[in-house]
Amino acid sequence: MRIFWILLKKELHAFFVSPVAYVVLALVMILNGFAFRAALSVLESAPSEGSIVSWTFHAMWFWLSYFFIFPLLTMRLFAEEKKMGTLETLFTAPVRAWQVVGSKYLASVIVYGVLWLPSLFNFKFAQWITAGQVEVPAGAMQGAYLILMVMGMFNLAVGCFASSLTANQIVAAIISFTLSLLHFLMGIFVMVVGRKLSDTIVDIVNYFAATEHIRIFTAGLIDSRALVYYLSMSLLFLTFTHHVVEFRRWRP
Amino acid sequence: MIDVQNLTKQYAGRTAVNDISFQVEPGEIVGFLGPNGAGKSTTMRILSGYMPATSGRATVAGFDVFHQSIQVRQSVGYMPEMAPLYTEMKVKEYLRFRAELKGLSGHAMRRRVGEVMELTGVADMRRRLIGNLSKGYRQRVALADALVHKPALLILDEPTNGLDPVQIRQVRDLLRGLKSKHTVLLSTHILHEVEQTCDRVVMIHQGRLRANDTPENLTRQLRSTTLLHLEIDGSGNLAEKFAALPGVRKTTEEKALAAPWRRFTLRVEPGHDLRDAILDLALKQKWRVREMHRQLPNLEDVFVELSMNAGTPTDIPTHVL
Repeated sequence: MRIFWILLKKELHAFFVSPVAYVVLALVMILNGFAFRAALSVLESAPSEGSIVSWTFHAMWFWLSYFFIFPLLTMRLFAEEKKMGTLETLFTAPVRAWQVVGSKYLASVIVYGVLWLPSLFNFKFAQWITAGQVEVPAGAMQGAYLILMVMGMFNLAVGCFASSLTANQIVAAIISFTLSLLHFLMGIFVMVVGRKLSDTIVDIVNYFAATEHIRIFTAGLIDSRALVYYLSMSLLFLTFTHHVVEFRRWRP
Repeated sequence: MIDVQNLTKQYAGRTAVNDISFQVEPGEIVGFLGPNGAGKSTTMRILSGYMPATSGRATVAGFDVFHQSIQVRQSVGYMPEMAPLYTEMKVKEYLRFRAELKGLSGHAMRRRVGEVMELTGVADMRRRLIGNLSKGYRQRVALADALVHKPALLILDEPTNGLDPVQIRQVRDLLRGLKSKHTVLLSTHILHEVEQTCDRVVMIHQGRLRANDTPENLTRQLRSTTLLHLEIDGSGNLAEKFAALPGVRKTTEEKALAAPWRRFTLRVEPGHDLRDAILDLALKQKWRVREMHRQLPNLEDVFVELSMNAGTPTDIPTHVL
């Protein structure tokens, strides 16, 4: 466990000394600003059932940031070490593959969490400036940030896996972007052609669909099925990553 | 310290290391030689626990490199070829990180990192980013990393690659100084270094073991010829007279000297020492001699001979080669 913390410290350090974390942070803050503004104008134009929270996370701007975060945060993790040859230095120290994979993943999850902190401020600020006229329901907030976190964990695990497959960061980014996009498009697909499909298929697809999860959670409903789904998928992709990294040691 | 038995490593369709066996005793400095692509790095990677062998077995400090990989990695300080390092870290920061990974902590860790930085001469660079260091300094940071946990065995893959002559000499002195505490297996292309530093040479070519002996024994057994350099003041056809001496294979006269001096190089069969015979000849002919120098075959000749002969039938006449 000691080794794990040492590695985690190093990974976090790598994130924050490189410009990547700050560039992504700036990007996310800008897009969040737009998303928030879009939500405010919806509420302004007409009475609405949804809260400011749900409108924010339904904005196109939010999804735009959503897709860029994961490839940018994870593409480096293994691909860079492979390219630089430092994986050899790393694995000739007494470290185990799970420690390396776990520390890299957890570091990316922590950075991801930090990315969303400024968006909390948007809601607080809106409440304060309108003297409480803009209602920010606590349940919706908890649900929204919870699903944001577990969805992020899943996509970061996918990104980790993509990075372990190649020594080229661009290729890693494209793989993780494509997988995240496919995941998102499932929900859109049902939304668009849903009426022509049987209810069973719609239900099954919705079980996996990110858009559906966002809709439910930002309404303040905590659905444990979605949590189990994301966490177990994260674990699955981390296991894949571990096996890819460890494969070197078993290749005959 | 190292025990390698019938080690073989195959990559897809290519055999990098082919059935090699050798041992290294504690306290030895062993030079691991071979032309590029001979399988040196592959063998070193297997020994350091980075990759598995296809067949055969290897133990380091009594631990199996595959089944007890963690223990092996704790007792080995490995410096990979090209010295890959995290370029975004500072020297001291990097070495502390590595020392912690290898099990040091607290005050002992900080003191040891200070020691190895002094030892390898990177102390002045401690606050510099590794990415901004020159190749020579990076090489030395990697060496400091290999030393930091006081491993019983050091495996160094071309530690002097990219260093200038002064730095090479420093590394050589450093390695000699380590001899009492560490066993060292190092690969290099600078054969002069090996002759001065190593107790023993293991030479491989095309994945096969070609030699395993002390540098002296290897040069002694060599079939190649010795060279005799002469500078003589004499007239007439000297080359003909030299050719008549026993064991002379070839005589060449070099033209570069001012009269009356003439310079000759004689290629002499192994086992002949012509220096006395030539002095006698010179006295008899009243030549003046101002230089006579015998050049014995060195490790470089051994290296070239073993590399060239591999894969060709041994009974090819020597003049063809």
